[in-house]
Amino acid sequence: MSSAPLRQADLSRAWPASRRQFLRAASLAAAAIVSRQPWPACAAAQTAQPAPQTAPVNPPTPPSAPDYRIEIGEIDWELSPTKKLRTTAYNGQIPGQLIRLEEGKSVSIEIANRLDRQEIVHWHGLWIPPDVDGSMEEGSPMIAPGATTRIAFTPRPSGLHWYHTHAMAHRSLKQGLYTGQFGPLYVEARSNPGRYDQEQFLVLHDWEPYYSPSDDGSLMVNYVAASINCRMLGHDKPIPVRQSQRVLFHILNASATETHWLTLPAHQFQVLALDGRPVPTQAKVDSLRLGPAERVAALVTMDAPGVWIMGEPRAAFRNAGMGAVIEYAGASGKPQFTPPARLQWDYRAFADPTPALQKPDVTIPLVFTSRFQGHGALDRWMINGKSWPDAAPLLLHGGLRHRLVFDNRSMDDHPVHLHRHAFEVVSIRGATLSGIQKDVVIVEAGTQVEADLVASNPGNTLFHCHQQDHMDSGFMALFRYA
Amino acid sequence: MKFCLFALILFGAAVPMIRAQGNYEIQVYGVETVAPRNTMVELHSNFTVDGQRSYIGGAAPTYHAEHETIEITQGINDWSEVGFYVFTSEQSGLGVQWVGDHIRPRVRVPEKWRWPVGVSLSTEVGYQRALFSPDTWTWEIRPIVDKTAGRWYFAVNPALERTWHGPDVNQGLGFSPAAKISYDFTRKITGGFEYYADYGSITNIASLHNQQQQLFPAIDLNVSPDWEINFGVGIGPTAATDRWIVKGIIGRRFDWSHKKKTR
Repeated sequence: MSSAPLRQADLSRAWPASRRQFLRAASLAAAAIVSRQPWPACAAAQTAQPAPQTAPVNPPTPPSAPDYRIEIGEIDWELSPTKKLRTTAYNGQIPGQLIRLEEGKSVSIEIANRLDRQEIVHWHGLWIPPDVDGSMEEGSPMIAPGATTRIAFTPRPSGLHWYHTHAMAHRSLKQGLYTGQFGPLYVEARSNPGRYDQEQFLVLHDWEPYYSPSDDGSLMVNYVAASINCRMLGHDKPIPVRQSQRVLFHILNASATETHWLTLPAHQFQVLALDGRPVPTQAKVDSLRLGPAERVAALVTMDAPGVWIMGEPRAAFRNAGMGAVIEYAGASGKPQFTPPARLQWDYRAFADPTPALQKPDVTIPLVFTSRFQGHGALDRWMINGKSWPDAAPLLLHGGLRHRLVFDNRSMDDHPVHLHRHAFEVVSIRGATLSGIQKDVVIVEAGTQVEADLVASNPGNTLFHCHQQDHMDSGFMALFRYA
Repeated sequence: MKFCLFALILFGAAVPMIRAQGNYEIQVYGVETVAPRNTMVELHSNFTVDGQRSYIGGAAPTYHAEHETIEITQGINDWSEVGFYVFTSEQSGLGVQWVGDHIRPRVRVPEKWRWPVGVSLSTEVGYQRALFSPDTWTWEIRPIVDKTAGRWYFAVNPALERTWHGPDVNQGLGFSPAAKISYDFTRKITGGFEYYADYGSITNIASLHNQQQQLFPAIDLNVSPDWEINFGVGIGPTAATDRWIVKGIIGRRFDWSHKKKTR
């Protein structure tokens, strides 16, 4: 297993390329500190990592120091030479530094809020207690302006997750996930049979949001620019690959509201995991679809030499910057892109081919509807007829299998997310499946999705649409354990 | 008879102050433009229930005239469009008549500039036969500002007109503002008021008596993003304005971009 040359935008460039190398490095680390670092060209080029024993610039770490430190503050960021923006971010960079943790090994994290508003950091995808999960609705405390807090948890499950602000934006387009307050989090499995030659972390985001009319008559959020990792397409160094290399892409859609597609012409993605959880069938697909907050781990065998754009097949998004250049060793020329003949995505392609469904102990219907507020307003969203915070908590019974019936009676798709748990998707549009564990699932407009949740992590558990504008407009509910 | 002739001459002399009333396209412009690779086809149907009953300055009466206007607007990019009009009139004694044509390029401040209000600028130039408009060649520049706030919508069009050929050629710029306020009763039904006026020359505002002033209670039906439906009844309280007009607009958008569903 060889490591690839480092590129500036490679989130993992300062990190060993394989899991084995990672574990070796981790075992040498006495402590881990993520600190504010100079960032001459592109912050995402650096990786949050445990400080090696030989690190010459860091003094010995006191025993009480946290393993990681996140500072929330304002930054000026350059997406391209002509597209500069001022936003808020973690540790002065976009995306926030890649945090790699070991499954089951406790970690402490210090969070300093340098903003003049309350903030909170959510650990998306981790099965951790509600007081540290990073949701005020569950009971995690907000971090006051100027304050510093410290949390500790034991990360699980393994896979690609992320950390991001869980603050409400309401009508402001300068708060919440419209900002740069997000970063990838990777939990290394205790056993990982993955075989790959190079690992790349790609974080998708949309920038400079604005309200505009939508086809259904209410306001929607559009964006001026988009990026993969820290730069717009064409303004970052290419990802270097070699022929026959197997490149493992860890892809996170950190957009506040947009579902994105990714295509790499002349190549296929072999999907290994969704939302950090391995899939039963590692099917190959031409394009990936990721709703807001969804993650995909996909292997690509580099068998079509050239210079390619891996990007949004929809031209408007790609032209706005959603893409990255893949460059084979020895290849040159203008990056090529040809959109696929059709865009197709079906979770069932990755399901167990011989489904073995279990009967639920409890069925919980969750009906999604909206209330029109005017052509110049966002819709008000409701679950079972109630908007947050008016909705009464829903009950979970420890150890029981709950069938959540997501019944989307609205005109929008909804990437719904359950905190602190994963659920198994068991039916989509009436077709059954099994083996797909997720914490975000897109429920398309006018359809039903059913998901089984085994209540195994007591405490308040938030459920919401991961579109920031929907969440801000009432699309949330709280589960409580009975 | 002499008195009638004198009165007619006197009234005809006043015509340059009040202009002939168009009533072919009665619409307050919003800022939104037709999307690129999209075509909007609209039919404007206006019937003058009670209006001008005699020829003025050689222009035909509007009383019981049915004006049908076809408007075809092509989106150029996400901040511009071009509209083309074919005006027709049908009335007793004249039958169906071609009235004229106009062309109307329009640009807007792109949405992505994120201005607090929508801003657009339209310019319209064209010809109308003297039988229907003493001023045959005219030019109009129309600033457009609009704002949607919750269920409310506001738009103002402080338009300026210039006659290139006709009796008003020496009048200079005329001021013809229009405005709209509406409220979304439901997702599909919006109701409000539209206001249209012609104050005459900006350097010599006409007396109220000679101004055109019209107020239309109107509704918009938002049945589909591909359809535009507007209906209103207008009252003209001044002597220079047609007393009652019923107007309707039906529009259909055609999308040539072959967008694929991307789910």
